Amino acid sequence: MRLLQVSIRSLLLYAFVLVLISIPVSFYSVRTILKEEVDESLLLHTNQFLQHIKKFESLDDLETDLTVLDQLSYNIKIKPIDSTLNTKEFQTIYLYDSMEQEQRPFRQLSSSVEIKGQPYLLTIRMSLIGNDELVFAIGSVQILLIVLLIAGLLMINRSLNKKLWKPFYRILERLKAYQLDKSESFQTEETNIVEFDDLNRTAIHLMERNRKIFLEQKEFIENASHELQTPLAIFQSKLDNLMQNPSMSESDAMTIAELEETAQRMSRLNKNLLLLSKIDNEQFGALHDIELSKLINSLIDNVKSIAEEEEINWNVKLNPLHIKANQTLTEILLTNLIHNAIRHNVNGGKVSILLESKTLTISNTGKALQMNQDKMFERFSKEGVAENSTGLGLAIVKKICESNHYSLSYEFGKGTHTFSISF
Amino acid sequence: MKILIVEDEKELVKSMVQFLRQESYVCEVAYTEREANEKILIFDYDCILLDISLPDGNGLKILQKLKENNKTDGVIIITAKNSMDDKIKGLNLGADDYLPKPFYLPELSARISAVVRRKRFDGNNKLVCNEIAVDLLGKTVSVKDKPVDLTRKEYDLLIFLMANKNRVVSKNAIAEHLSGDDAELLDKFDFIYSHIKNMKKKMTEAGCEDYIKTVYGLGYKFTA
Repeated sequence: MRLLQVSIRSLLLYAFVLVLISIPVSFYSVRTILKEEVDESLLLHTNQFLQHIKKFESLDDLETDLTVLDQLSYNIKIKPIDSTLNTKEFQTIYLYDSMEQEQRPFRQLSSSVEIKGQPYLLTIRMSLIGNDELVFAIGSVQILLIVLLIAGLLMINRSLNKKLWKPFYRILERLKAYQLDKSESFQTEETNIVEFDDLNRTAIHLMERNRKIFLEQKEFIENASHELQTPLAIFQSKLDNLMQNPSMSESDAMTIAELEETAQRMSRLNKNLLLLSKIDNEQFGALHDIELSKLINSLIDNVKSIAEEEEINWNVKLNPLHIKANQTLTEILLTNLIHNAIRHNVNGGKVSILLESKTLTISNTGKALQMNQDKMFERFSKEGVAENSTGLGLAIVKKICESNHYSLSYEFGKGTHTFSISF
Repeated sequence: MKILIVEDEKELVKSMVQFLRQESYVCEVAYTEREANEKILIFDYDCILLDISLPDGNGLKILQKLKENNKTDGVIIITAKNSMDDKIKGLNLGADDYLPKPFYLPELSARISAVVRRKRFDGNNKLVCNEIAVDLLGKTVSVKDKPVDLTRKEYDLLIFLMANKNRVVSKNAIAEHLSGDDAELLDKFDFIYSHIKNMKKKMTEAGCEDYIKTVYGLGYKFTA
C-alpha cells in the first residue's frame, strides 16, 4: 500500500464517520429549533386570540360566534369544557389531508381559557410540512457539500501523489540502480522539499562514505599484496644463500626444502590475491584481438610434458574463434582452467577441450566433488588436501568471466567435470 | 665484472651481494635514486639491477638518464609491482629484462649472465665448460665437438644449471625457470627428476663427465 493511500484512507474514514454522525445530529437539531419556533408562535397566536376575543366580550351571542368559528376555522378550535383546569398542552398530530390524500404533520397547542366566565379549550394548530421540507433541503445541501469535499480531496491527493512524490521515486530509482563497485558517484537533484532534499543529502553522504570505504578496502588489498612481495623476496633470497652452505646436513636440506615450499605457497597466494584485486580495480584495460584456438594450443603445449607424467589423454577439438579481450587475463583464465583439469584428474584420465560456436568446454575425468558446487568458485575453497593449490584459481576464473560478461557454468556427470564458457 | 644493485631493501641487497659475489661479480650498491645517478655517470657496469620503487624517486628515471647519456649498461628491472605497463615502459626505455619479486637468486644470476653475455660477446655467443660447448644462438650443445640432441626443456635446464655453476639450485627454482606459471602443477609430478635423468643420460652417453649432482631432496648442483 502506498503512503498516500494510507493517509487518504484515514482521511476518508474520518470524513465518513463525520457524515454519519452529522446527518442525524443536524437533522434533529434543526427540527428541534424549528419546533421550538413553532411552539413559540403557537403560544403567541393563543395570546393574541384571547386579546382579540376580549374586545368582543360585550357581544351577547359570542358563544354562538365561537361555535361558528370552531366550525369554520381549520387551524383554530374552540370548545366549551366543564372544568376550568388550567392546562397548556403542546402536541404533534397527524391529520388527513383530503387534497393531498395523505397524513400531514401538525403541531398544536391546547390551552384552557376563560371567555366571559365560561371555560373553553382553545386549540391552535400549525402545519409542520414547510418545516420538514426545510430540514430536508438543509440535509441535502449538506450531503452535496460533503460529496464535493471528498471528491475534491481525492483528486487533489491523486495529483499531489504524482507531482509531489516524483522526486522521491526518482531518488528510489537511483538508489536501486546504484552499484558500489561500478557507479561513479551518486547524483541527485534539488527538489525544494525539505524532506526530500534531506533524503538526497543523506543518500549521497551514505554512498560517498561507503564508496570511500570500498575503495580504501580495494586499495588496501592491493597495497598489502605489494608490500608482501619484498619480504617474500628477502625470505627466498636468504633460503637461496642458506642452501649454498657446504656443511649442510640432509635434515638441514629437508628443512630448507620445506621452507622453500612454504615461501612458494605464500608468493603464489600473494600473486593470486594481487591478481584478483587488479581485476577488481580494472587494471587490465587494453583489449587485443585474440585467436583462441591458437592460444589454447600453445597453453596445452606448455603443460603437455607435465601431464604426461600422469598419463593424461588429450582430446582437443578447436575451431578458430577471434575474441576481443585482454591478452594477460585470457591467458590466466585458460591456464587456470587447464591446470584445474589436470590437477583434479585421475591417473590415466582424460582432458577434453572443445571450442565451437563461441563456447569453450573443458572437461576432465575425476572424483565427484565433496564440497558444495556453489562454493567451488569462492575464494579459498579447496577440494581435498591439495597443498600446492591456493584455492584461488577458480575464483579468478569466475572473476575474469564476470568482468568480461562471459557466462560460466559447471556440471558433473559420469565421473566427468565440465566447465563451459560462452564468449 | 661489475654489477650495480639499485634497491632500497637492505636485507635483500645483502642476500643478492652474498650470492652474486661467489660468481666473481663485483657488486656495488645504491640505496637511493640520487646515489644511483651519481654512480652510473662515473662508472660503467656490466649489469644494473634496478628496483623501480625507490624512496626518493622512480627507477624508470634512472633508465632515462642512462639512455640520455648513451650508456650501454645492461639493465634488469626488479620490482614488487608486477604490472604489464611498467614492464613495457621499462623495456621500451632500454631495459634488457624484467624480474618481478619475489624471485629465486639462481634465476637472477642466470638472467644476469644472459644480459652480460649479450652485451659483452655480441656475435660470439658460446658458452664453454670443459668438454661441454653450448652455442647460445643456435641453441645446440656439443660434447667434445660432437653434437648432443637435447630437447628444448633439457637445453634450458643445462643452461640454467651452468649459469649457476657450483651452486645449489632448488627444484622449485628449476621448475619455475622451465615452466613459469605452469610450475604450480609441477609439485604434483616428479617432472624435474625425469628431465634431469634424461639429460644426464644423453650427456654421459656422449662422453661427458657427470657434472650434475643431486643435493638431497632439495635440488641440483652443476659442479665443474
